[in-house]
Amino acid sequence: MLVIFEGTSQVETTVRAVLADILGLSAERVAAFTDDTPLFGALPELDSMAVASVLTELEDRLGILIEDDEIDGEMLETFGALVQFAARKALV
Amino acid sequence: MTGPRFDRYDWAGGRETMLRFGPDAGPLVVAVLPLFEEANRTRAFLVEMLRALARRGIGSILPDLPGTGESVIETRDLRLPDLRQAFAALVGTLDVPVYAVTIRSGALVDCDASLAGRWRLAPQSGDELLRDLNRIRAASTMPDAERYAGSSLSEALLADLRDAVSYAASRTVRLESDPRPADARYAGAPLWRRSEPGSDATLSDTLAADIAGWIATCGG
Repeated sequence: MLVIFEGTSQVETTVRAVLADILGLSAERVAAFTDDTPLFGALPELDSMAVASVLTELEDRLGILIEDDEIDGEMLETFGALVQFAARKALV
Repeated sequence: MTGPRFDRYDWAGGRETMLRFGPDAGPLVVAVLPLFEEANRTRAFLVEMLRALARRGIGSILPDLPGTGESVIETRDLRLPDLRQAFAALVGTLDVPVYAVTIRSGALVDCDASLAGRWRLAPQSGDELLRDLNRIRAASTMPDAERYAGSSLSEALLADLRDAVSYAASRTVRLESDPRPADARYAGAPLWRRSEPGSDATLSDTLAADIAGWIATCGG
């Protein structure tokens, strides 16, 4: 269980860094994100083009492949949902 | 030091514009931007890198390839073999050792040229580029069969890209966040994926130092 926890926290760090780098958000702002922080629809920086960039950058950094039919509104609704989605892909 | 200036070059399909930086003599860098949207996002950054190279006494050229930048050729008529031919024609007119410096999918362009070396930042293959283009198109709020992030691309060009691989790099440089194999890694954000074009003076200067050191060891 500890291993899984550590893995998830590493994925979370990566998701935070990707949002900061791609959307041009400050490190402080991204550090304050919690599981419940709303993303798509709430962050003006996260438009549909930026969604594509965020997902592709996550693929590169985590060494995962995200299929187009896996992309839906739910995974981008909150920071926690995006981390969970990325962790599911990265930790199998 | 010589300031930036415009010049022109000819290839089989016509005449294109190019920007020159630094001295004309000595080893010369010919730089290639990524294709399509990423070019807009990295142009200012690449120009900053070339200015930093000029400060180190290395001259460079940033050509507008056919169908890009100021070229009169429409984006929908852009073809990969033309980009390669134009790049090779330009390099062929230079009688000093020429080093290619490419960002991302710019790596796909320099394979037909006779070069002293190839330096690549975060190179992207043709199928990776296609995947990006398709995802951006799918994410668009107004899907349009022929438009990719605002560019009209021909079926022929998409077919060119499908199998396109780059000529082996002499040196590959990546960002620290990129886990793929590299000769060197530097801290910085992937500007090519940012919606708002930006630059990074520290990174552009660090990369210019890397290129200058590499050219020196190549015996340029």
